[in-house]
Amino acid sequence: MEIAVLIKPVPEAETRLRARTDGTQLDAEGVKFVLAGYDESAIEQALLLREATPGSKVRALAFGPAPRTEEVLRAALALGVDEVTWVESPAEGADDPGVVARALAFALARVPHELLLGGKQAGDDEEGLVTAAIAESLGIADFGSVVNLRVDSASGSLTFQRATEEGVESWTAPLPCAIALQQAWNDPRTAKLPNILKSRKMPIAKIPWAEVSAALGEAARPRSVAERFELPPARTGAKMIEYKSPEEAAETIVRLLREEAKVFP
Amino acid sequence: MTPSILVVGERLSGHLTSATREAVGVALALAGPEGSVVGFLAGSSLDRSVTEFGELGVTRIRTREDPRLDAAGAGAIAVSVVASAEAVSASVIVTGGTEFGRDLTGRLAVRWSAAVANGVTEATWADAGGLRVLRPVYGGRATETRRLTGSRIAIAIRPHAFAEPTAGAAVAIAEPDAGPEIPDPLLAARRTEVAAAGVSAGPALSDASIVVSGGRGVRDANGFRLVEALADSLGAAVGASRAVTDAGWRPSSFQVGQTGKAVSPQLYIAVGISGAIQHIVGMVSSRVIVAVNNDSSAPIFRVADYGIVGDLFQIVPALTKEIRRVRGLPAG
Amino acid sequence: MPDFSLTPEQESLRDLARKFARTEMAPHAAECDKAGRFPEEIYRRGWELGLMNLNVPTEYGGSGLSVMDQCLIVEELAQGCGGMTTSIIANCLALEPIILGGTAEQRAQWLTPFCAEYHLASFCLTEPGGGSDAGALKTRARKEGDHYVLDGEKCFITNAPHASLYTVFATIDPQLGHKGITAFIVPRDTPGVAPGKDEDKMGHRASSTSTVHFEGVRVPVANRLGAEGEGFLMAMRTLDQTRTPIGALATGIGQAALDHAAKYALGRRSFGKPIAEHQAIQIKLANMVQSIRAARLLTWQAAVTIDRGERGSLESAIAKCYASDAAMHVADDAIQIFGGYGYMKEYPVEKLLRDAKLTQIYEGANEIQRIVISKELLRAYA
Repeated sequence: MEIAVLIKPVPEAETRLRARTDGTQLDAEGVKFVLAGYDESAIEQALLLREATPGSKVRALAFGPAPRTEEVLRAALALGVDEVTWVESPAEGADDPGVVARALAFALARVPHELLLGGKQAGDDEEGLVTAAIAESLGIADFGSVVNLRVDSASGSLTFQRATEEGVESWTAPLPCAIALQQAWNDPRTAKLPNILKSRKMPIAKIPWAEVSAALGEAARPRSVAERFELPPARTGAKMIEYKSPEEAAETIVRLLREEAKVFP
Repeated sequence: MTPSILVVGERLSGHLTSATREAVGVALALAGPEGSVVGFLAGSSLDRSVTEFGELGVTRIRTREDPRLDAAGAGAIAVSVVASAEAVSASVIVTGGTEFGRDLTGRLAVRWSAAVANGVTEATWADAGGLRVLRPVYGGRATETRRLTGSRIAIAIRPHAFAEPTAGAAVAIAEPDAGPEIPDPLLAARRTEVAAAGVSAGPALSDASIVVSGGRGVRDANGFRLVEALADSLGAAVGASRAVTDAGWRPSSFQVGQTGKAVSPQLYIAVGISGAIQHIVGMVSSRVIVAVNNDSSAPIFRVADYGIVGDLFQIVPALTKEIRRVRGLPAG
Repeated sequence: MPDFSLTPEQESLRDLARKFARTEMAPHAAECDKAGRFPEEIYRRGWELGLMNLNVPTEYGGSGLSVMDQCLIVEELAQGCGGMTTSIIANCLALEPIILGGTAEQRAQWLTPFCAEYHLASFCLTEPGGGSDAGALKTRARKEGDHYVLDGEKCFITNAPHASLYTVFATIDPQLGHKGITAFIVPRDTPGVAPGKDEDKMGHRASSTSTVHFEGVRVPVANRLGAEGEGFLMAMRTLDQTRTPIGALATGIGQAALDHAAKYALGRRSFGKPIAEHQAIQIKLANMVQSIRAARLLTWQAAVTIDRGERGSLESAIAKCYASDAAMHVADDAIQIFGGYGYMKEYPVEKLLRDAKLTQIYEGANEIQRIVISKELLRAYA
């Protein structure tokens, strides 16, 4: 099976976010970027499927600027991904989900992909729609929040479950298909030190933005503009409940939730 | 300007979901008195939901009667949605912030060449043209304002960010839409089973309006039952910090945080959770946060609105009892 | 150097160690410390990830890392737990004599198994009668035909109860002083080898330490490292290689203490504001961070010096001595910032002080380091 995994660099969780001086977006200077957590799950799933289906290959693609995008592709290689492709992003408009999806769909013409895997959403913009948009470009079905993905070797089709508002749904779907995975349903492996060293020497296929934009033409134009990036006012810290007995604490908090915060019941 | 806005309806057990109701509210506000809001439904036995749309003040409903769409992916439904949007000259498509809604918006980015955004908490017309949307990003640690441009815009709103419109009594009229044929590959997947929510904390957790989570402070799997009892008294979903799932006290599907689920309920109660950043990013966008912890310097108190410093083994049972009392539930 | 920036490869090695320290070590640090438990499952996991035999050349299946890279990893591990880190890097110390002094056959025979499977090795130099005075050791090695017979006792040997291999320093003739010291590879299952009981230590309680007795232990001549009498130099050169990572280990303990103290200072309130807003605390924190950064830079300087191919005895002595002293006083300051809570075992900082203390003592006590430093210094003026 030919598996393509979509991955993305995101700021690590501890990052202290701040806006660029023009206030329109995140100031990426000095920010450490890592593989998105959901993407780690997607890679793990791909590697498990490869192990279960001899002859399979796992390839990863990422869209974004240097050097952070190369770094997450190297992280994917260190985890055991066979080949990686870097789709270079433009200086402006790279955060438009339609642009991201079209650019990656363009790159997928060169990357075999019976099964397309992505994370349910990234840890940054939380759009969670790129996998669906790419599937639409490719004319294939897509499913989000997927867990327990397996390939039925007899029929060659996928079986999986989805956690939706209705409950846990079980599905079967033929290939080709796009799947956005829920996180934390598998325990993503950690790259071993020797593999980290090896990944530094492996090749990264690069598709320059000039090539993408020439091929896509008008479709490469962003349809949205980032206007403002703001941090919420710092929470001033909790109002601490004074009490003499647990019962008094309970009464006070329930009263505050009803009368002051108006959330309950 | 007389905008035409299409609201894609979703049903659960035959009724419009609260997510769809919230989406109707957003669409009505954007349409204003001049514009029009059109509903959309796909699947079988749509009549009841057509009526429900009407009660919310949406009187024109495009319907695609096709039993194959009762359990189809967003890709198949997007085909009909786009046909309906074109038929009513819609410039905006709004969906609820469900799995389906977010998925559909992604499909529309390409199929309808739309400017798209998910997780929207505010949407207003921009003087410069298009729709200005506000969305929490980075797990609620920041917000982004984007202007969606052009004459085709699709958004999925964030759950619980908007109120449902008050129900009226208008009569809705269904406009059956034969629509284009749906390509086979988009219908080839089959849903074989649906297990009710609650079997897994999954959907309940990410969509619940109240979440009660427990952390290392509960000491062991047994101690976690206090957290569940409190959640039960509130009808809340149960979450956990990574310490709990790592220790195997509860399965990983309970985990809230960077490597678990991100939640944004109206009320989040953190019991015995110290508040590592990995947990905080998964719950900080909750509207009201209550923390119970025995360590007054625990970082959770820096993001909480209300804090109780004390022994959770005393505080939580008292709280459960008090909530059951005010809610008129029998003592647990 | 002196660019001070890390390569992307170094960043990713550091990330691996940081992740391991946070997710696998730190959650068990308090429990292992309290119980004095040797968490073998964590060490096995560290081995699986390639964090154990950092200095073993790649041709034998190791990582063949530079001392600089080792230091980056060790500092991160130490932030998870100092004691566990000591046990994880003990193989580097025990195997270094084989890397430095072994023949091609000896290296292939003895290094490869450690990279193919999880095994521990221990470096046996110190004896009950003398630690720093390594030239005066009493363990005897008498040649009998194609074997040596070892008799004696080693003490404070890291991982000894769990090790499958010992690198042992013994004298062929006490009259010869250091010229008699010879190094041997001794498998644990050799008759007459008996590790003692686990010591109950002040700190580094997740690590295991014991004596090792050698009684009529017959070791084939093929297990001798280098020639007779070359052992002392081999031991010193080994310690030149491994001393610098001890500086990194101490730096990591200090960093952990600073992290705890700064977070606590922001959360804990007194006189109506977070204690971080009191100057007394600010000055402490400022001093702590200066010490840690200086320790890190001295450690990096020593590492780069050794990686250039120089011996780096002076640089590594300064790094180890300074960083361990810094870890000690930074941990002390952290406890002071925590106040009464800092003295309680429920909070993590008192453990850091106990762990830091050992870094002033082992792998050459700081007094010995100061002697080395001043000798080198005075040589420049003589």
